[in-house]
Order: sequence, then structure tokens, then C-alpha cells
Amino acid sequence: MLLTRNSVELLAPVGTWDVLEAAIEAGADAVYLGGKRFNMRMFKTNANFDDNLLAKAIEYAHKHNVRVHVTVNNLISDREIDNMRSYLKLLDKLQPDALIVQDLAVLELAREMNFSVPLHASIMMNTHNEHAVRVLQDYGITRVVASREMSLTQLTLLKERTGIEVEYFIHGDMCIAHSGQCVHSGVVFGQSSNRGRCLKPCRWPYELVDMTTGKPIEGPNPGPYKLAMKDMCLYMNLPQLIQAGVCSFKIEGRMRTADFVRNIVQVYRRAIDNYIADPLGYTPNLQDWQDLYNSRARDFSTCYALGNPGAKSIGYTGEREPRFFSQAVREADMTAPFTISAATTNDKQTDPVLAVRVADLPSLRAACQNGANIIYLGGEACKPSIPWTLTTITQAIEEANQYQAKVVVTTPRITMERECGELEQFFTNMNTIKPHGLMVSNIGALRLARELSDLPVQADFTFNVFNHLTAQLLKNNGISKATISLEATHEQVVKLLHESALPLEMIVHGSLSAMVTDHSISMAILNTSECGTYDHILDTRQYALLDTAGELHPIMVDQYDRSHLLFTKDLCLLPHLAALSTVHNYRIEGQYYTPELIGLITRIYRQELDKIRLQQSRYQFDTIQLDKLVAASPRKLGLGAFRYRISR
Amino acid sequence: MYNIGILQLTQNLDDAVQGFKYGLAEQGIATQFHYLNADGNVGQLPKLATQLSEYKVDLIFACSTPSAQAAIKLEDNIPVVFTPVFDPVGSGLVNSMSLPGGKATGVAGMVVANAKMAFIQRLLPAAHTLGILYHTADSNAIVEVENFRKLPSPGLNLVEIPIHKAEDLSNLPDILPAEIDALFLPIGRVVEENFPTIAYYTDTINLPVIASHAPNVSAGALGALVANHYQLGRECAIKAGEILRGTKAGTIPVDVVKTPEVLLNNFTAQNLGLNLPVDLVAEAAEIFE
Repeated sequence: MLLTRNSVELLAPVGTWDVLEAAIEAGADAVYLGGKRFNMRMFKTNANFDDNLLAKAIEYAHKHNVRVHVTVNNLISDREIDNMRSYLKLLDKLQPDALIVQDLAVLELAREMNFSVPLHASIMMNTHNEHAVRVLQDYGITRVVASREMSLTQLTLLKERTGIEVEYFIHGDMCIAHSGQCVHSGVVFGQSSNRGRCLKPCRWPYELVDMTTGKPIEGPNPGPYKLAMKDMCLYMNLPQLIQAGVCSFKIEGRMRTADFVRNIVQVYRRAIDNYIADPLGYTPNLQDWQDLYNSRARDFSTCYALGNPGAKSIGYTGEREPRFFSQAVREADMTAPFTISAATTNDKQTDPVLAVRVADLPSLRAACQNGANIIYLGGEACKPSIPWTLTTITQAIEEANQYQAKVVVTTPRITMERECGELEQFFTNMNTIKPHGLMVSNIGALRLARELSDLPVQADFTFNVFNHLTAQLLKNNGISKATISLEATHEQVVKLLHESALPLEMIVHGSLSAMVTDHSISMAILNTSECGTYDHILDTRQYALLDTAGELHPIMVDQYDRSHLLFTKDLCLLPHLAALSTVHNYRIEGQYYTPELIGLITRIYRQELDKIRLQQSRYQFDTIQLDKLVAASPRKLGLGAFRYRISR
Repeated sequence: MYNIGILQLTQNLDDAVQGFKYGLAEQGIATQFHYLNADGNVGQLPKLATQLSEYKVDLIFACSTPSAQAAIKLEDNIPVVFTPVFDPVGSGLVNSMSLPGGKATGVAGMVVANAKMAFIQRLLPAAHTLGILYHTADSNAIVEVENFRKLPSPGLNLVEIPIHKAEDLSNLPDILPAEIDALFLPIGRVVEENFPTIAYYTDTINLPVIASHAPNVSAGALGALVANHYQLGRECAIKAGEILRGTKAGTIPVDVVKTPEVLLNNFTAQNLGLNLPVDLVAEAAEIFE
């Protein structure tokens, strides 16, 4: 590959006019900035451009031969769609060089409007496999901001297999969780990280404890900030980065000052130019490195660029955290105020469908015997569960058939190359085993499932269905049923159900994960403390993080060593089912429960749903049912995000 | 042409810089600005201050208490104009408000306690008891709490709710007295930054919160009476003008906020089932929906 000045784009963050001038003067090839309306930096509103200033910024940048990418990377709710349409019209007129988008609804709108500006998939789309890229390419996406969890080698493969332009974060503040898959802030505070309002629970102090006893794990403790990712810095790895075929080097920080951005852009500009001019003769400039280092906020890490960094990427002591956004809170329990926004009646008189996700055959049996219509199984198996095999899935289908229940086989949330390779074989096998359907967690897995199988395919909550256009896009791509976002409030759920042409399911009970991370939380700590002699495969203990509100977040470790950090309370919407009677499709996430508990929960939900259908407006909830659940549950129960008036 | 240094702690205070620049332009003073910003990193300020002195600036406009402290520590005799410093005397910047004495003067960002108290009573006429939640390691918070304590006839019963570290907010329900009708948050970084945790708990018990930090209002506090930073910057520019014309900074009295502005949040009011008083709505500089 012969390198030219155009081989690599240095992409700088811009929050204000001063920063725009500074970034351009310092040598950025392109800048990204947000308008006032829909983007990921909603807290600091003066860090965004109003419509007039946006027009001026584009004109100014273009005069200096610098490209402008406008971030439109928020999830939108149905009430925001008209505003989004008019914003897209404006952007079509202003002609920036690209839009950076998250919500699938924007793809649907862009197609409807014949939108003329190129679209880039935001980091929030969590794009991490070639199949997802192909779907996005069908929608005219020309570039993806690849998941931070992808290594440079994986990026090379992604680019070579699809021809897509790859943009990658090379410097700045990082998330520990998979982007677009973290609902911690949204569910607990009603302020969604997928809508630019993250209150950063990953920056809280935590203690590593034994999940069963709640007692602290003995041994050296690297510090309380167990999830506090260090800042990304790839300055010293620029040659690998360029040779990997990454076309756009993205600097994080739309809330940064002009000086800060200017310094970083200058340093990377010099390095890129020097390398391209003479790759073999290139050495990093140690003075520049020293300047970068001295003006750092947190300590630096290469994050996932060179492979999973483990404990090295975490700033456990917290001493360099620039600021905090919140402190841990006790999650809302069943007594928290619940806003019922509109009267809802079930006019269709259809039987409510109850689905239960289970981890093993005894649980499946318990669910079927107590009134489940659909069983979900498969996907991640978290310790102590083991993955479903072709044999156990076959047995599951046979057993469910005896109860006239359907089996839908799910797949992992995150599907990088390894998982995609496994899925190809798996979907092919499913054509023989014939479950009643498949469920997928990302658009890449969706494409694979549709290519390799004729079975009906459902979309899991991981698709962040927040509006009816997203549901429409999924329907257009062959999805038969989708799951509503865990961050949707009651008002949003009701509106979404009303507008959606695709059947939608709502999770009403279960242990839910707040975030999923490739960083293995407990293993990283135990590896540090036991000098590398720790063997996680032989470790049968289960761990949890204890927050400063005194609550336990179980860490569920799956077969890929990903950590799923659960909420401290399990979701329970039993007392509010009457207000959700237009839902029709209900789900219990029971994969972390015992068969006995699954039997009890399924029975109680079945009884209440049937009662609501029969008794209609005469229905009254009997709290004895809730008391039974409370007594049997391994964790306290809570109301999640549904209780909020509006998810912000 | 004057060389003016601007020493900024965080861009959140940049409205003051805008006001300051505008104020100097209003007076027809020709200037060249050198703006340095520590991006929230207090430890960087002494280095940045030294950098400004190397630029041979004629005056330093210092935003925030730590910026002003770094600027007056410089050995060169560069006059300093500061804002929105909360306690200029207590933080050692001046000897007294009327006669600063040293090389610094400015406009304090403090909205006086009785004005805040009167605002709270107008906003919540039915309230009897007010909790004051403050961080005991924050010198500004301590000053403000002391000012509230000293009010001759506060009109409301005051209940102090001290926290010693940020994480104490995680268990706020355990320390919130049942008898309070509203919660007041004095100036102070830990309480301001972690406001969402406070609001999370107060929302569930319908407890109105009155803040001192403007961004807390858009984030869900019912209201605040705050200094307008742009205005503070403009007032500082007048003092800077006097200094540049030859008056000694130490002889120019330090002012306090003259016309604080009312911020209200109507979304929060609706959640609390309250109607915002009509007169306050009319006065408000901004009402968040």
C-alpha cells in the first residue's frame, strides 16, 4: 500500500467555534461536531452548534478544505421523529461531509428522503463484524466507527472483507462497556447513555465481593475504581495503526478546550506526516510524546487496539479521574413512584403470549408446566451454566412440544469473528434441528441468520428499539418480532406499540445486565493480585461488585470471558401489567434463576395476565402475588426505567 | 495595545471570559488576549500562570478561586482581576472587600444568603423547614452555610445535613431528615457534580431542591438564584479598565453580584405537582421545560 497525504484522515472533536478554528489551524483533516438537536453531548449544551452556527462552521471548514461530520447519534423516541425529519432536511441543505448516526430510524428516514449526505455508523451502533457492515452498506453507510473492542488486526480484516472505511478512536476518554449496549444510566436514572446523558456508573467506586456471601475477596486490592477505563492513546503505535488500514483517526473530546484539542491535533499531525513521508525512517517524537503525556487527564492505555489489555487498562486508584457525574444509588424498588401516562385497554382480546428465557432443561420444563408459550434458550451461558449443545436443544424442542410451547434459539449479544464463525455452523445446524425460531442480538447476526436459515428471526432488546421506524427497518429486514428497549418508559412503550407495524415484546421480569464488557472484571483483579497464577477456568466462585449504596451487582461471566454486570435489583412489573395490557408479548428473563423460581414466576405472571384479559377493567392486583415473588427471589425487585415519565 | 492574560480553570466558566472581553471592547480598550485553560486540572494552574507572566501580560483575568490564587502567587507584579470567586477574603486574595490591599480585585460570585433565602421563600411559600446539604471539606460550602447560620431572621427553620465525602450521597435517604420541606444546595463542587444522585433520591419523595449551580437547574433542581457569569465578566472589565489607566488594583473595592438571576425548572415543578409563582416566572432569566 503506497501512502499519500490522503491515506489517513485526522478527525478532531469540536464543541465550540474556538475549538473549530484551533483544530483546523493545527492540521485536522476533518472535524466532527454536534448540532443543538440530536447528538451525544447533551449535558453541555453550549458545546453544540445551533442551526446558524452549524451552517457557518461547515462553510468555514470547507473554505479551509476541512471536512465536517455532524453527529446525529442519539436514539430517538417516537415523539422526536418529526423533529428529526426536519433536522435531516436542514442537514441535506447544509451539506456537511457526513452524518454520524446511531438510531436505525435515521437510516429509514434517510432512505425515505433520498438523503444526499454520506452516512457513517456511530460508535454507538457497536459495529464489530463484517455481516453488520454489509447490512449498513445496503443502507448507504460508507464508513463505520468500529467498536473500541476491536483490535487492529480485526479492523484490517473488517476493511478487507467489506471495503468499508474504518474510523477508530485513537485518543481520549473511553467506555468500559460495549457502546450502545450499556443501559446502566438509562435504567437507573432515566438518563440514557444512548441519548448523550450518561451519568457514568462505570466511574463509581466498587468493592469486589463474593456474590454468595457478600464478603470482600481477600488479597491485594488495586483500588476501588474497578471499571474506570484509562484514556486511549495510540501515539506510540501510529505505524501499526496506519498499516492496519484504518482510514480515520478519531480523537475523543467534544467538551475539550481549544488548547487541548490544538495540542493533540498538532502532535498527531506531525507524526502522521512524518510517517507517511518516510515510513522506514520514522521514529516517534519523544518531546511530543512527553507533551501528550504531561497534559493527559487519565493515564494512557492502548485499550483493545493491540488485544484485550486486562487490568492494564483500568485506573483502579481513581486518582486521575477528572470529575464524577454521580454516585451510586439504591436502585428503585417496588415502592418507587410509577407514572402511568395513558389509560390502556386491551381491545384486541388476544391471548397474552408469555416467553421465558431459561438456561437449562429443568428450567424449561418448569416454565412450560406453568404456562409459558415460548422458551428462549441459547446465546451466552454464564457460569455456572454451560452452553446449550445441539443435543440439549433437540431435547428442549421435544420437551416443549409436549406442552405446545415453542422454542426460540437465541445467539450471543456480541458476535466478533469467533462468534460469527460459530454462528454460521450453528444456523446451518438449526435448519436440521428446527426450533420454532431464532433470536439475534445485532444486525450482523441478523444477516447471517437470514442468509443461512428459513426460520423466523426475532430481534432481542439489544437492538435498542426506541421508535416505530427502527421496528419498521427490522421488519423490512425480515424480523418477525422485536423486543422493546430496556430504557423505554411506560409512555414510550405505549406509543411504540401503537405505532409499530412489527409485533413487539416487552421484558417484564428478570435479572438484566446493565452493561456488557470484554474486560473480564473479576479475572483482571484476581490476576493482578495473585501474580498471574490465578486460573479463572478452575475458579467456581461467583463475584459481584458492591457499590457505595451497599448494593450488589452480580458479575456474570460467559463462555467468551465477557462480563455481564447485572443491576442490583431484578426487574418486576407484575403490579403494573394492567397498564401494559396492549403489549400482548411478555418476557421473563430467567436464565439466572433456579427451575423452582422460574416455575413460580411463570405461574404468577400467567395467572395475572389471564385474569387481566378476562376481568378487563374489573381487574385488581392482589399484592399477595408480589409477596410470593419477593420472598422467592434471589435479589430485591425493582421497577427499572419504565417508571419514569420520559427517558431523557 | 494591552496584553491581557486569561487564566481559566474550566470552560464551564467561559461566559465570564466572553463578558470580560466584551466589557473591554465596550470601553474601546485595544487588547491582545492570551487565554490559558487548565481544563479542570487545578494542579496545572501555577504552570499556566507562569506561562502568562512569560508573555509579559499587563493584567491577568483569573476565573475561579484557584486560578486567582495561582495568579497572585506570581512574583511579577501583575495585577489580577478575578471572578466568580466566592470568598475573596477567606481564600486570601484580598485583605478586605472594600480595600483589597494587594495586587488583586474583582467581583465575587457570591449571591448573598438573604437574597437566596428570600428567593426560596417566594418559590416555596408553604415551606417551613429547609435542609442544607453541604460537603464539609469544601471551603466555599462552609462559608455559605455560615452565612445562612448568621441570618438574623431566616424565616425558615434550617437543618444542616453535612456530608464528609462524595460517596455519602449514596445513602442520602438515611441522613435526610423527615421534617424538611425543601433541600438547599450551597455552592460546592462535590454536591454540584453529583447532583443527579441527590435528585434521584429527592424525586422519589417529592422533595423540592434549590441549587446554587446553574447547570443543576436544567438537570432537575426546581430553581436557583445565581450570578450571571457574563455580567460578572463585564463588571470585571470595568475594574480592569481602571487598572490599565493607572489605578492600583489594591485600592479598587471588590464587588459582589449585584443582579442575580432567577432560574426555574417547570418540568420539575410539574413532577412535584407545584405551580411556579407567577411573579418569579415573570422575573426568570430562564425556565427549563
